[in-house]
Amino acid sequence: MSSVIEQIEQQIANLQATTVQSNVGKIVTIADGVAKVDGLSEVMYNEMIEFPGGTIGIALNLEEDEVGVVILGESTHLKAGDEAKCTGKLLSVPVGKGLLGRVVDALGRPVDGKGPIESNEAYPVEKIAPGIIERKSVDQPLATGIMAIDSMIPIGRGQRELIIGDRGTGKTTIAIDTIINQAKINEVGLASGDESFRPVYSIYVAVGQKNSNIARTLGVLEEADALKYTIIVTAPAADSAANQYLAPYSGVAMAEWFMTNGMDALIVYDDLSKHAAAYRQMSLVLKRPSGREAYPGDVFYLHSRLLERSARVNEENGNGSVTALPIIETLAGDLSAYIPTNVISITDGQIFLETDLFNQGIRPAVSVGLSVSRVGSAAQIKATKQVAGKIKLELAQFRELAAFAQFGSDLDAKTKAQLDRGARIVELFKQPAFNPIPIEEQVAVLWGIQNNYYDDIEVSLIVAAANAIREFFTSRKEALLVSIREKAKIDDELQAELKKAYDEWKPSFA
Amino acid sequence: MTRDKQISNYAKGLLKVSLEDGQFSEERAAAVLQALEKNPPRNYASVLKEYLKLVQREVANSTAAVEHAGELSASALEAIKAKFTAHYGRPITVTASQNDDLIAGLRVRVGCDVYDSSVAGALKELEASLS
Repeated sequence: MSSVIEQIEQQIANLQATTVQSNVGKIVTIADGVAKVDGLSEVMYNEMIEFPGGTIGIALNLEEDEVGVVILGESTHLKAGDEAKCTGKLLSVPVGKGLLGRVVDALGRPVDGKGPIESNEAYPVEKIAPGIIERKSVDQPLATGIMAIDSMIPIGRGQRELIIGDRGTGKTTIAIDTIINQAKINEVGLASGDESFRPVYSIYVAVGQKNSNIARTLGVLEEADALKYTIIVTAPAADSAANQYLAPYSGVAMAEWFMTNGMDALIVYDDLSKHAAAYRQMSLVLKRPSGREAYPGDVFYLHSRLLERSARVNEENGNGSVTALPIIETLAGDLSAYIPTNVISITDGQIFLETDLFNQGIRPAVSVGLSVSRVGSAAQIKATKQVAGKIKLELAQFRELAAFAQFGSDLDAKTKAQLDRGARIVELFKQPAFNPIPIEEQVAVLWGIQNNYYDDIEVSLIVAAANAIREFFTSRKEALLVSIREKAKIDDELQAELKKAYDEWKPSFA
Repeated sequence: MTRDKQISNYAKGLLKVSLEDGQFSEERAAAVLQALEKNPPRNYASVLKEYLKLVQREVANSTAAVEHAGELSASALEAIKAKFTAHYGRPITVTASQNDDLIAGLRVRVGCDVYDSSVAGALKELEASLS
């Protein structure tokens, strides 16, 4: 209580003979969440503008006579003639560890009913991405916990890996799995007391999503105990286009704080198709010239400046990283549409999810042929490389052969063997949602396929076999899993132990 | 060029000829209006409205509108005039009006710039900092 009194006294002392200078203007017109303001001669681009009732807007169009201000939030109480005031501040959001476990809106205000955010720091929403000198190449893995991805399309810390596919193909699930896996790794790493362990904090940005979907995601993260390492930034479908436009930038500002303070962050943009649509709406209302598909000319820059902020910085700059998993929704699997091609060209690879695979029950429905990770393989641990080096090729060959084999019954032994092996790999990669697998268990399972331990198991029983071997390892060979995790490579000793473990397990499964 | 742009450019031209040594001149403006009346351009009303807007902006930029609560001496007004003339580097005229809502102190507006040293403004700042 005394501190509040001191604060008021201090403020009163400051009131003595102080003159506050401000730059003001008047609303000329207001429609569709955009106000045209006369005046504001000192306004800066992207400056926060204050309207009556504490409403905030951002100055996005600085014209000769007027300023186009996009109102953030409710604007129905504003009318022509109302005063608008420059704040001298660029739009910024609260940042820090106090946001972990919280759900905030595009301006960083809590929307989860858990009280105010404990944060004393603010970070600008728009910031120039780290330059070439500050960066370092990606060399640390970021395990998603999804076997198909970690083995074939590995992701590294600081990478930007696009998740792309039609609606309902499991794009969000992959992102949520990755967040859950980071939380699990954080738990194990922090409990181990290893000082060199670097936890990954996650930021999930929901743009234009249904509130029910966001609530479901929140529930999943809470259930998996992953929320304490996660910040959720929401700009649901009912929010204004301005808030939907801002949310990814607010999210990346929160992630950048972790990076500049030497920590690692993962950010999921779910999804950038809706983000582009929100920006298109805003641009059209601001009367900016439109181009292809009515998107404004700078729609590429909209995403490039956002995704360029994901980086791995070098030791002199704190050695932190921001890994981005942007999501893009395609229509009828069309990868060559405007926004998908833009984002594909900006990112360091993509995970393409196919509707056909999803409907065949292959989940995650990762298309091996169209998915790629351009930098992640440098970050993949040696153990995974040892056991999964050829799997992507084998699976791609299987898909080709499977299509061909549909028309012929007589197959040579080699083709048949390739088909059998491919079918087993496909089954092995099937994984239920929200159930990430630790990397050491993935290595143990994949070692089995590499060493032909699944060859005599019926294809329909492969999933059961993989579950059984994982259970066998976690319950009876814990030490072996710890060795794989710590050594991160399979040496002769581990090779022998894995062989022994499989020989022990195999008769019990049969 | 769109119609609005044409009107805007025409009005800007009118304002330009209404200035004398960079300052708005009432005599010149009167002459401009007379000339317009004799030879009205296309969209006369729209041109006049646009011209009015520009003149109001120009006048506001050279006028310090002083609002005060309580008495304000002539010498204080002179001091304000001298101060703002020096600050903006152009002649500033002063208009004064009483506004008791300010409680005490004064508020000066020159164009888009507002200088507030009133108690009402200070209380508003205090309210904002505590919320």
